Amino acid sequence: MVKQMEDRHSVWIRFCHWVNMISITLLILTGYYIHAPHTFRLFSNMDTPRTIHFAMAYLLCFGVLIRVYYAIVAKDAKNIVFSVKEDTPKFPSMIKYYMFMADSHPYYGKYNPGQKMMYTGWLVMVLLQIITGFILYKPNMFMALGGFLGGYMAVRLIHYIVTWLFVLSVLAHVYLDISEGVPVLKSMFTGKIPADFDHGTHEEEIETGTGVGA
Amino acid sequence: MPTKLSRRDFVRLCAGSAAAISMTGFLAPYMSEAVAAGAPSVIWLQGASCTGCSISLLNTVHPDIKKVLTEVISLRYHPNIMAAAGDLAIQEMFKVAEEGNFFLVVEGAVPTGADGLYCTVGEQNGHHITFENLVKTIGKKSNAILSFGTCSAFGGIPATPPNPTNCKAVDQVVKDVPVINVPGCPPHPDWMVGTIAHVLLYGIPELDTFGRPKMFFSNIIHDNCERRQYFDNGIFAKTFGEPGCMLELGCKGPISHCDASTRLFNGGVNWCVKSGGVCIGCTEPQFPAWPMYERMAEMPVGPATSVTVDQVGIVLGGLAVAGIGGHLAGNIATGRIGPKKEDVEKEGDN
Ligand code: HEM
Ligand code: SF4
Ligand code: SF4
Repeated sequence: MVKQMEDRHSVWIRFCHWVNMISITLLILTGYYIHAPHTFRLFSNMDTPRTIHFAMAYLLCFGVLIRVYYAIVAKDAKNIVFSVKEDTPKFPSMIKYYMFMADSHPYYGKYNPGQKMMYTGWLVMVLLQIITGFILYKPNMFMALGGFLGGYMAVRLIHYIVTWLFVLSVLAHVYLDISEGVPVLKSMFTGKIPADFDHGTHEEEIETGTGVGA
Repeated sequence: MPTKLSRRDFVRLCAGSAAAISMTGFLAPYMSEAVAAGAPSVIWLQGASCTGCSISLLNTVHPDIKKVLTEVISLRYHPNIMAAAGDLAIQEMFKVAEEGNFFLVVEGAVPTGADGLYCTVGEQNGHHITFENLVKTIGKKSNAILSFGTCSAFGGIPATPPNPTNCKAVDQVVKDVPVINVPGCPPHPDWMVGTIAHVLLYGIPELDTFGRPKMFFSNIIHDNCERRQYFDNGIFAKTFGEPGCMLELGCKGPISHCDASTRLFNGGVNWCVKSGGVCIGCTEPQFPAWPMYERMAEMPVGPATSVTVDQVGIVLGGLAVAGIGGHLAGNIATGRIGPKKEDVEKEGDN
């Protein structure tokens, strides 16, 4: 019998996810070399990483633009945008689950509040990187914006701090998603997830005692 | 005003002028003609400064500075090089200001703490004349203020925290008068003479966001540096005196605007990187509020406390790895990860 599968990620979500993953990974790697070529000996010259950095910068703009457009048009934004009012109250149960103080957690929707917070944070961080990056890339074109942000040194600092934030959050993201189960990881390739995968307990299911994983 | 040199040619000359031709030498005849025809005079004031900008101006080599000062600009007041002194000089300055039609050059930041008493520049009727007050009153009457040097243009060294005298840039103190910023620590003499020439012959030059004349400050040092090939090839000096790009030694070339690398200082002899130093970004509004010989400033984490971004990143990274390790152990201990009875059953369904 074939395992019952249900749709999780549309082809657009998967396409954007991997495009953005590639561009951000390469931006981080080349960025560290640009920052400290003696410490991060990843390349043998400055030409290649800078060319890659700027090419990936445009790819990132493209990937983010499509992702944001999709989120709005396909009404996917509610899945990934953190809502202070609706998502904050869901934190305690999630933290309890992650701290092993509870065996299951309520059904949160597609993503739990922590994930939503991270994905929304990424949008902010990507926009910050794009803004500060283009100020550094075209220092004469965006002089006023650079001055507004506190000058080029501050812009550089923001660009570098946000890079570290990316490294740290990607670390957490990769771990949490893999540890949630291989099906979740697979779903970003195939778009599908087993229909009986435990997404948490629905409230009405708690009452009737029928839910998956209840 | 009779002039054979069009503004376009002038700007091209200023922007393109390399060490090969002396800009001041070329401009001198036009400027003396203008001065002879009654061009505005110049008053030069010094506040919280080290006089370095004046010294740099005195480095104008061709024609020699004497000719520049007596024939090329009608300089009516300068604290260091005028012959008059004391009350005589002060009265002369006020007279020029009353007559109007003059440009005010300001060298040095304006200390505004203690009602400006940290910097007094003379006396009038037995009262101190504070620099702040003088810049305000004389500045209002001038056609335009030329802020020479980073201190007057952006605050520079005197205005860098903790700044006990509350020094400010001229354009923060005087409003309603056009201000041209000619930063540099010190500025190249060509930038100063060229800007004076432009205002005398053609009026206010085209300025960038920070009020700097575009003809001198629209190049990024990093894009015109003779060590750029080292940068592109990934050859970085580890110590001073080594060949290689100075990026890792703290060069601010990638974020600094000026044309020193093609114009060269000291009459076309040398410039900051060629002499084996780094560009310290002396023409930028935030100068010198960053470490000269470090790639990047530290990030503030509390009052008067800062750490490097890498330190924070590594600590947080360590915590994250520890957290992941702990959680992974928990996951395995509670059976959330690893062979579970249900999973085995599920496999069997396939
Ligand atoms: C996730 C996105 C990005 C990451 C992680 C990233 C990372 C980095 C890092 C670590 C550096 C070295 C910083 C320094 O030491 O000054 C850097 C430099 C740079 N980045 Fe990015 N970057 C990203 C996006 C962008 C974008 C969108 C642009 C736009 C063109 C850009 C343009 C630049 C430029 C021009 C530099 C050179 C700065 C300099 O030489 O001081 N970056 N990047
Ligand atoms: S020495 Fe400075 S200005 Fe020259 S290439 Fe290196 S970083 Fe750029
Ligand atoms: S190269 Fe750098 S340090 Fe030298 S004058 Fe220009 S901005 Fe100042």
